[in-house]
Amino acid sequence: MSADFSTQNLDGHAFRLADSLLRANGGTTAYLQMPATPGDASDAGQLGLDAPNFQPLPLSPVAFRRTRATMTEGEPARYELIVSGSAVSAAVGAMQVASADLLFQMAAGVAIANELFLIEAVSLSECQGAVYVYRLLLRESASGWQMQTTQD
Amino acid sequence: MQNAKDTFYISLRSRLATVNPERTMTLRGVVRPGILVEEAEAPAAQLPLDAFVLRWTKFATDEQLPSILAHMTCEIHYATAGTQNNAGLDRGRALEEMDDELLQMLCPSSTVKMNYTQTPAAQMGTNIFWSQAVFAPENTTRERVGRVATVEVFAFQEQGEQ
Repeated sequence: MSADFSTQNLDGHAFRLADSLLRANGGTTAYLQMPATPGDASDAGQLGLDAPNFQPLPLSPVAFRRTRATMTEGEPARYELIVSGSAVSAAVGAMQVASADLLFQMAAGVAIANELFLIEAVSLSECQGAVYVYRLLLRESASGWQMQTTQD
Repeated sequence: MQNAKDTFYISLRSRLATVNPERTMTLRGVVRPGILVEEAEAPAAQLPLDAFVLRWTKFATDEQLPSILAHMTCEIHYATAGTQNNAGLDRGRALEEMDDELLQMLCPSSTVKMNYTQTPAAQMGTNIFWSQAVFAPENTTRERVGRVATVEVFAFQEQGEQ
């Protein structure tokens, strides 16, 4: 058995590099659709009668791109959202949730440029144990709703 | 027939809170019994673990009776990965526990139909009733084991009811 006991100073270079690359590559803002707090505990809230009043939670910088050029009939297009680890870390703190996984699970979708997308999968990259970038696989929402964001 | 669907869900939710008060989940910022109606929640790529998910599928009517009898199929999906303490090796036992809870929730197999669009909910004039659950074979995907139970739910359409 062996372990790496070498000294590794956490200096946040991966975070700064990721943020600057995201900004330089069309960095924009995405809005997670988060449940309102306090939540609706009524029967009507669980039966689809009450409006859920999702609140937009901004994440920035992010880069947004289509994952493939070809389209399949009847299948919504897939996109990839690359999100800054520092933005997610700040959002986790602001929402007071235990982890980024939980944050993405709680989100009812992501609004980007007033379009709604559904989160299909989440992966991440880390450096020295700190996640500096998250990759979200998104699918275009079939609803076609125009989403309002706080910037509008 | 929305009243019948609403009544079925609320009835099972209340019974689950009695059968196993510890089976809870946090959804949209609220801690509630671990059961939900799929079409009344935000879409998710994967169904939650350790919770019952109601999915309404078929719908048919029998119009040969004095009142129209609606006949709806409800699929109840549930899955588990076991517990962290047992490193998931108890997932078979955990699934069996959910099977047992579901059987208890479905018994007795009728309840008074309610109208939840009003506050407080109003009692209606007929009952809804349902068949015994038909359990599908266990479905295993990596550490996740799950099952689908299918229940036929019946309700009479009352005067003025949509």
